[in-house]
Amino acid sequence: MTRRLPLIAVLAVIAAAATTVPAAAQTRTRRPAAAPSRSVQIGGYAMAGQFTFAAAESFDAVLGTSSGPIVGGGATLGLPFGGLFVDVGAWRFAQSGERALVLDGQVISLGIPLDVTIVPIEISAGWKFRIRRLPKLIPYAAGGYTSFGYRETSTFAGAGEDVDERFGGYHLRGGAEFKITRWLGLAGELAWTTVPDAIGSGGVSKAFNENNLGGTSFRARITVGR
Amino acid sequence: MTYSGPVWQALRGVGLAGVALAGLLTAVGAGQELQAPVASRLLVQEAALPPIDRGLRDQDPPRAARNRDDAERLRAEAGDDGLPYVRGSVIVKFKDGASAGAITAATRQVAGDTVDRSSWANFDIIDIPDAADPEAAAAVLRERPDVEYAQPRYLNYAMSRPNDPLYANQWNFPAIDMERAWDIQPGATADIIVAVLDSGVAFRSGTFRYNSRFAFRMTPGGPRYPALGIVDVPFAAAPELGTSGSTRFVAPRDFIWDDDAPVDLDSHGTHVTGTVGQLTNNGLGVAGMAYNVRIMPVKIIQGLWDEIFSSPFEGTDDVVARGIRYAADNGAKVINLSIGRSEGGPAPVVTDAMRYAVGRGVFIAVAAGNTRASGNQPNRLAQPAPDINGMVAVGAVGLALDSAFYSTSGSFVELAAPGGDQRAGGTSAGILQQTLDLDLLETYDRPVSQYGPPRADSFAYYYFQGTSMATPHVAGFAALLMQQGVTSPAAVEAAMKQFATDKGAAGRDDLFGFGLINPRATLRGLGLAR
Repeated sequence: MTRRLPLIAVLAVIAAAATTVPAAAQTRTRRPAAAPSRSVQIGGYAMAGQFTFAAAESFDAVLGTSSGPIVGGGATLGLPFGGLFVDVGAWRFAQSGERALVLDGQVISLGIPLDVTIVPIEISAGWKFRIRRLPKLIPYAAGGYTSFGYRETSTFAGAGEDVDERFGGYHLRGGAEFKITRWLGLAGELAWTTVPDAIGSGGVSKAFNENNLGGTSFRARITVGR
Repeated sequence: MTYSGPVWQALRGVGLAGVALAGLLTAVGAGQELQAPVASRLLVQEAALPPIDRGLRDQDPPRAARNRDDAERLRAEAGDDGLPYVRGSVIVKFKDGASAGAITAATRQVAGDTVDRSSWANFDIIDIPDAADPEAAAAVLRERPDVEYAQPRYLNYAMSRPNDPLYANQWNFPAIDMERAWDIQPGATADIIVAVLDSGVAFRSGTFRYNSRFAFRMTPGGPRYPALGIVDVPFAAAPELGTSGSTRFVAPRDFIWDDDAPVDLDSHGTHVTGTVGQLTNNGLGVAGMAYNVRIMPVKIIQGLWDEIFSSPFEGTDDVVARGIRYAADNGAKVINLSIGRSEGGPAPVVTDAMRYAVGRGVFIAVAAGNTRASGNQPNRLAQPAPDINGMVAVGAVGLALDSAFYSTSGSFVELAAPGGDQRAGGTSAGILQQTLDLDLLETYDRPVSQYGPPRADSFAYYYFQGTSMATPHVAGFAALLMQQGVTSPAAVEAAMKQFATDKGAAGRDDLFGFGLINPRATLRGLGLAR
């Protein structure tokens, strides 16, 4: 819970910015909706989705599932160079499970509570494609750097036995935004994230020889701003 | 060279021209013979006085090390000096479908005359002439196509080396991080039954009447200890194990006296049981590994007093095998075998029983042996451990967590646990537990003038050392793991090995096996990343 508050605050600020700054710009310009922007445009979004981890056996062993819901948000900065944009976003995954033994590939849960919390921060650059015949549909593709925060806590942990670290990785994502109004849109995107060598040196991930904290995700977004 | 039953051997040999009695074992005088013989022991009183707690014995004068050599002294008196087996019979298992004719032919081939099938046995005992060599007879039987295995009735003994009781503390539990392990799994519960197959357990009160019918010498040429005649021996439950008649003890069975009162006349079994499940957090005495489990006392080896009182059975391989099967059939989840033998050949009858027990979901911990300083012969009962997933052969470490000087090494050693090393660390480097007060029990170690009936209702805290003491750490550990949800014996073994702290040469080695047990790390298991 303590980690959620800053994220929510950030999202609120982003949403506020997205609804005020572009609105002011609108009164000054009267360009067609599909035309590429020639000014800096700020938008924001909130998202929810499902993340499926590449380390499927490891997550399944301790959490009972290899995927789970994520929620997050971010801010987008449209640059005055065609469809170029940059995006800073964050999301959160949190789930509880049990510590386990892996013996000859068989998982035995031990009933010792374990909580996994993941908060990645994604910095992306991408391109929005304008389709003249479908001005309300804006496909986009992006890629960038991920700072993948991983926190693992469990009962009976001694000093240094819990994990609270941040790992570097990369992501690619692509999707399409549908503009409901000039300032409000819905988007769906697929993302692929790789965070190599973040795990695999201990725990069940070592037993399963899985070292990548990344995975694939589907995300639905509500966007605000142009 | 083991604990053995010379007196009983002698009795059985009477019909064969008194060969057994021709040794130094001497029949008692006429006055003794007038007394009504007690064919087996007799429970004469259920109730008894409360147990006597004589506390920590840290000021006693040093005691001579007591090991199986003491048992050999009595055995030597019977003329069986040096023989690792019982004469007069062999163990044989016929293949399924063996005809009665084939069994008769096999019996005749070794000049045998009867085939006996005991309870909790899937094998038979063939009586052969006392003069016949049981190993040769077994070899003849093994050649037959209708025989699965045959072996002599090798004798087993306790794997401990009791020594001077000087108190320091129970270093053995901190050494394997048990305090934090108990945070995770506090002593298991009564759902887990640990069978202690040993010299018996001080688990009940009462007075048993025995008949000491023969005089004996403890050493060749030494003083002759007289027959005591009929004596009443008081017993009590060890205060640190539980109260007599409580639900702490389940399905007791005595294969030495063939009844359901496996009381301890030796101290070994009670000490071992203490390490498995001594009552803990009760403000008294010392702690045990899995202090909430139920204990199944199964007596499969005899002490010197059992021999002096002419117990009808001894700790032969067939008795051990029956005890294992009994425990498996009566709900045990863990079997502790702090016993074995280093002489003689393999023990297929015991191995077969071990496989049976593991197949029924029972984890077995067995002592590796105490022979490294005296030839390093392996414990024959422990040797099959690498081939049985769910059974672990246990070596011992001392206070410094180095391999104990006596701990037998070999490819069969799979794990190590604290067993004490008093050569390296002094008396207090042994394993401390409550057991029978040896001053009042081992009166045969006194001068003849002070020799008298034992008391088994007085207790004290003693340091013992041996792989016998290491093994119950593993048995108790297994109970904790089972309570934590690791129910398969093979999984218990795999988990123990996976989290063992590597000692000695990198990787598995012949001294420590896969390493020193690490209950805390094992019970805590794995997170996702750490």
